[in-house]
Amino acid sequence: MTIRTQDKAQLSNEERDILHDVGFDDPSARAATSVLADREMRMALSNDLGVEILPLSEALRTYDFVQDLMFGLVSPDENEHIAMVAEHMHDPLGHFVWVKPGAKVRLPVQCFTLLETPQGRQFTHDVTLIDEGAEVEMISGAAVPGSVHKGRHISISESYMRKGASCSSVTIEHWGAAMDVYSYGYAHLEEGARRRSTAIMMAPLAHHLSRSHTILAADTNAVSQAIVFAPEGTERVIETETHLAGEGARSEDVARMVSVGGRIVNSAMLVGDAAGTNGFLGCDGLKLSDTGEIMAVPSLRARAEGAMLSHEASVGMIDSDKLDYLMATGLDEDTARNLIVTGFLRLDHGAIPAGVRMRVVEMIDQAKSGGM
Amino acid sequence: MLEIRNLTVAIDDVEVLADIDLTLPEGELHVLLGPNGSGKSSLLATILGLPPYRIVAGEILFDGAPIQSLPLEARARLGIGLAYQRPPSLEGVTLRSFAAAIGAEDRLETEAAALDLTAFLGRDMNVGFSGGEIKRWEVLKLVLQDPRLLLFDEPESGVDLEHVIAVGEAIAHAVRSPDREGRTCSGLVITHTGLILNHVKADRAHIMKDGRILHSGDPQALFAHIQTDGYSVPA
Ligand SMILES: Nc1ncnc2c1ncn2[C@@H]1O[C@H](COP(=O)(O)OP(=O)(O)O)[C@@H](O)[C@H]1O
Ligand SMILES: [Mg+2]
Repeated sequence: MTIRTQDKAQLSNEERDILHDVGFDDPSARAATSVLADREMRMALSNDLGVEILPLSEALRTYDFVQDLMFGLVSPDENEHIAMVAEHMHDPLGHFVWVKPGAKVRLPVQCFTLLETPQGRQFTHDVTLIDEGAEVEMISGAAVPGSVHKGRHISISESYMRKGASCSSVTIEHWGAAMDVYSYGYAHLEEGARRRSTAIMMAPLAHHLSRSHTILAADTNAVSQAIVFAPEGTERVIETETHLAGEGARSEDVARMVSVGGRIVNSAMLVGDAAGTNGFLGCDGLKLSDTGEIMAVPSLRARAEGAMLSHEASVGMIDSDKLDYLMATGLDEDTARNLIVTGFLRLDHGAIPAGVRMRVVEMIDQAKSGGM
Repeated sequence: MLEIRNLTVAIDDVEVLADIDLTLPEGELHVLLGPNGSGKSSLLATILGLPPYRIVAGEILFDGAPIQSLPLEARARLGIGLAYQRPPSLEGVTLRSFAAAIGAEDRLETEAAALDLTAFLGRDMNVGFSGGEIKRWEVLKLVLQDPRLLLFDEPESGVDLEHVIAVGEAIAHAVRSPDREGRTCSGLVITHTGLILNHVKADRAHIMKDGRILHSGDPQALFAHIQTDGYSVPA
């Protein structure tokens, strides 16, 4: 049963292929799907009564409350990029996903963005509302066709998780190698909400700034991991700020970063605003070549007594003891290195689709042999 | 199978092994006894080609051919394998993914069960393992690797009584039965406790002290001697 369909044009086979690489599956196998291409919502459809998915512009006209959600977690003049997106928003581009109160959504909800025009400029704004007691799994991705290597993408996303809501998500991006991308993500978790998120930032691009800001109310639980890769010519700047704002809030935020000549800067800030909170930051970097740079800057700020905050950070090359240990079993050096790197990135664990895992391994291989 | 002649080894400029002669014929299992720091681990590491050991003099022959200038993985491919005394931990590399990488997936479940490691297959190699669990995994690793020359560095130390029998039997089985290509194996086992001698019948024992082989002889007799007189040459 289709609740609402916006299917202006079917996706081409090429588009499907590109999207597949970043987690897309046939809409019939998903609870709901949205696809935005260049400046158009190409698809917004739901097969599940518990999920509504609409172009944001339409959602604003359909539901009064959406205008309060939009720019509810960030001010339109927060910074120059956000202001630019806000100014562009005569008819805002992006999706509104609403998981209804109490809905236990069986299949994942998937949302994708395509930039198909070389030198394209894309500014998007997504709003997600996971209502009280709802449970959902989300897959989102961004991709370009092989022909696009230059362009600019700026996105704002605002996510609201109401009381007791639960969400696990995977985000995979594959932008063009010379693109500039700025992503700003804001989330607010109400009492008892639980979120588990994985972000995979592997494909090369010129510059990526990813900034996120999360507020955790009482008894919330947020676990996030970022898998970050930078080959030669890629710069990724990741800034996260997490506020443990209510008693009993817990968070665990881990970034695993691999550089083969690229630059990665990870600044993570954890703020204990309330007592009885518990937060952990982990930043681990692995450098596979002499060039490039990894900078890990975890910071902890306890503002209430009884906020337990801790961090661990490490940056280094592959440990030769580990390499020898594996090679002593007869593995060649490349296989041994791959095992260590994929292990370091925890590609075996968690929510990473098998196809994506394979591609990540290939990407690291290519980068090491200078083929990227 | 293994023949070591006049082997002298140094780390930087410090000699750790001096003038070692040792012959390990095909099908035999030998034990190495000796106090802490006598050079037992250094000897096994040198046979395999692990850093930081540098051969100053002498040679190591495997199947009659010198191997001392071969890199680590080439020696491993010839069929030499080592169960480490203190292996590194490999975060994120599960026993299962390692077994797949060395092409031993099909035998993993059965062999793991024999060492009571079934519950560990999804765990990361050596991460958070207790002392005894590390030893059991190292033995399992060698069984999966299936080398012809099996080197065990203190495989039973730290292993609880409940599992020491399984470890002993796994070592005995690995050394005493042919490899998967039907070739006869040999083993060299470092032991402190001698517990292993209750489970594997050794052919010969060597006492090491200060980087030298002091004496070689019957394993049971030498172990009894050590228990009363320490690491010395029997009268
Ligand atoms: N990597 C190393 N660097 C410096 N000295 C070492 C190193 N490894 C071993 N040694 C020294 O070499 C000697 C022999 O050590 P080892 O072979 O480990 O003894 P055993 O295994 O018999 O206890 C000891 O004095 C030890 O401290
Ligand atoms: Mg030792």
